[in-house]
Amino acid sequence: MRKTQWKKWGSLALSLLLLASLAAGCGGDAKPSGELSLYTWDGMFPQEILDGFEEETGIRVRYSNFDYDEDMLAKLEETEGKDYDLVIADDYIIELVIAEGLAQKLDTSKMENYKNLNPVFMSQFYDPNNEYTVPHGAGIPLLVYDPALTDVEITGYEDLWNPALADNIALTANYRVINGIALKVMGESYNTEDLDVLQAAGEKLLELAPNVRVINDSNTQDFIISGEAAVGFLYTSQVYLAMTARPDLKLVLPKEGLGFGIMASFLPSQAPNPDAAYAFLDYINRPENAAKCFEFLGYYCTNKAAESHISEDMKELLVLPEDAAAGEIVQNISQEAEDLHSEIWNQFRDACG
Amino acid sequence: MGNKSSPKTRPPWLLLAPMYAFTILFVALPILYMFLLSFLTRAEVWGVEFQFTLANYKRILEPLYLDTFLESFRLALISTALVALIGYPYGYFMAKMSPAWKKRMLLLIMIPFWTSALIRLYGWIIVFRSNGVLDSLLMGLHITGEPLKLLYTYPAVVVGMVYALLPFMILAVYSSAEKMDWSLVEAARDLGASSRLAFWTVTFKMTLPGLLSGVVLTFIPSMGLFFIADLLGGNKIVLVGSVIQEQLTKGRNQPFAAALSAVLMVLTVLMIRLYRRITGASKLEGLV
Repeated sequence: MRKTQWKKWGSLALSLLLLASLAAGCGGDAKPSGELSLYTWDGMFPQEILDGFEEETGIRVRYSNFDYDEDMLAKLEETEGKDYDLVIADDYIIELVIAEGLAQKLDTSKMENYKNLNPVFMSQFYDPNNEYTVPHGAGIPLLVYDPALTDVEITGYEDLWNPALADNIALTANYRVINGIALKVMGESYNTEDLDVLQAAGEKLLELAPNVRVINDSNTQDFIISGEAAVGFLYTSQVYLAMTARPDLKLVLPKEGLGFGIMASFLPSQAPNPDAAYAFLDYINRPENAAKCFEFLGYYCTNKAAESHISEDMKELLVLPEDAAAGEIVQNISQEAEDLHSEIWNQFRDACG
Repeated sequence: MGNKSSPKTRPPWLLLAPMYAFTILFVALPILYMFLLSFLTRAEVWGVEFQFTLANYKRILEPLYLDTFLESFRLALISTALVALIGYPYGYFMAKMSPAWKKRMLLLIMIPFWTSALIRLYGWIIVFRSNGVLDSLLMGLHITGEPLKLLYTYPAVVVGMVYALLPFMILAVYSSAEKMDWSLVEAARDLGASSRLAFWTVTFKMTLPGLLSGVVLTFIPSMGLFFIADLLGGNKIVLVGSVIQEQLTKGRNQPFAAALSAVLMVLTVLMIRLYRRITGASKLEGLV
């Protein structure tokens, strides 16, 4: 009897202790209002940068992450743009966020380092007057191949159709980008809404099916590194990983033209602590900090002043050559065209199997 | 303290209320929401518009999506047949073992469940990939000369499905074979039946409910286990599950995803009814 009572009081005391420590954790901070609620994909910043920011400003970073841009938009709609101070996401979804009125206009005077940004990656379709966004990295899907596994010399998308590459290509799984290969070979735009053109691209794409070894959206570089496939059509971050792991691989900027995507930061319409967001944007765009971010992230550097701070051996992969800058961004298109894209894609996948 | 209040002061529905609330909130409402959603129109930019349409269901009738259903059905059928072929004898012989061995065998089936299914599938990737475990073994034994491409093929997907679903079949067959009265088999043998005839007329019929519930437990999940096809098949086999996922995310077409889910669900219900019919009938045959 006494034993059970002891247990009861003991557990009660323990839970009180826990509660007290919890309260202490909440209220005991030096600057209770200094919190930045950051919402983006997992692993966007090196720990060094997050720690450095906290140390310098005393603002604590609360990092929440999403897997898909669409999840982010759904969340912002749900909270009416209230919960987060800063969001980093892809270009096309930001267009929707702005259209829905879920982003707020920037006060660029609050960011000393705003001038460091590379104008090549600004004034894009999703924010033509740079009112809402700050670019944070650009991705360009590129071809990487292993010259030891194939004799085909690859210079562009066209070469992927070469029968010598049968069962030897690894692709990412973004259908707008993959269907885009066929569109580019035909000399068309990624964003065409002409259904006949799309139909023709779909047929062209089906001819590629016998050459496809695997379709995988994450860690696609592994197939090239391990020799499972000779050619890979990879996202920028994957290109970066493949080329650092195997410098003997060859990198191809397809001659048909580049497609690119830009990631950008914006402040949700009712961000609770916009000043923290500005402080963070300013911190990560300081040239030496930005260089660290991009060396970690493996995306093309969108900060002009940071380029000279990027280490020599990474420059080829992180700094876009001046002449290559004319790429086309994948944008939102009409419903009919989007549906057709998705159908073409599933037909293609089916034909690969 | 609790003894003082008589049972009458507490109406019985109050005790059941949490269960009803739970079922309504987490089972009935989501399903209702899904069916409702499947009749709505996708909004121009994002989300849905409250405008009734049958277009989502009409779209499923396009050859592409019918093919997807057929493909899912085919893979489920092949996997289920193989699972039954391996799982039935396994469960049957397990039921005939000594209690100590039964425990050991059961443990062997349960242990893999302690690891996430996804991680176990990555194990299969290591086995199947070029220059992987199986490939090296075949080359070491001089059966094959150069690295094979075993991964990202149809057979690799089937192996993954069979591996993931086998325990459900084994446990279902085992539990019905375990409950069986083996003296009935002895009686059949006493009355002159050959061991084969005794198996088909007595044992098989009495374990049929187990086999069929194993089939249901295998077939239904295998319609939805698209991540196996994605991982081991290299995304090259399009199943209904992966189309639903894609429509919800990249396709931004929630109503169409809901319509696909609704059709999948109706098919599942039909399967379960079929199972009830067959087992109900077999039970009568077995007893009379």
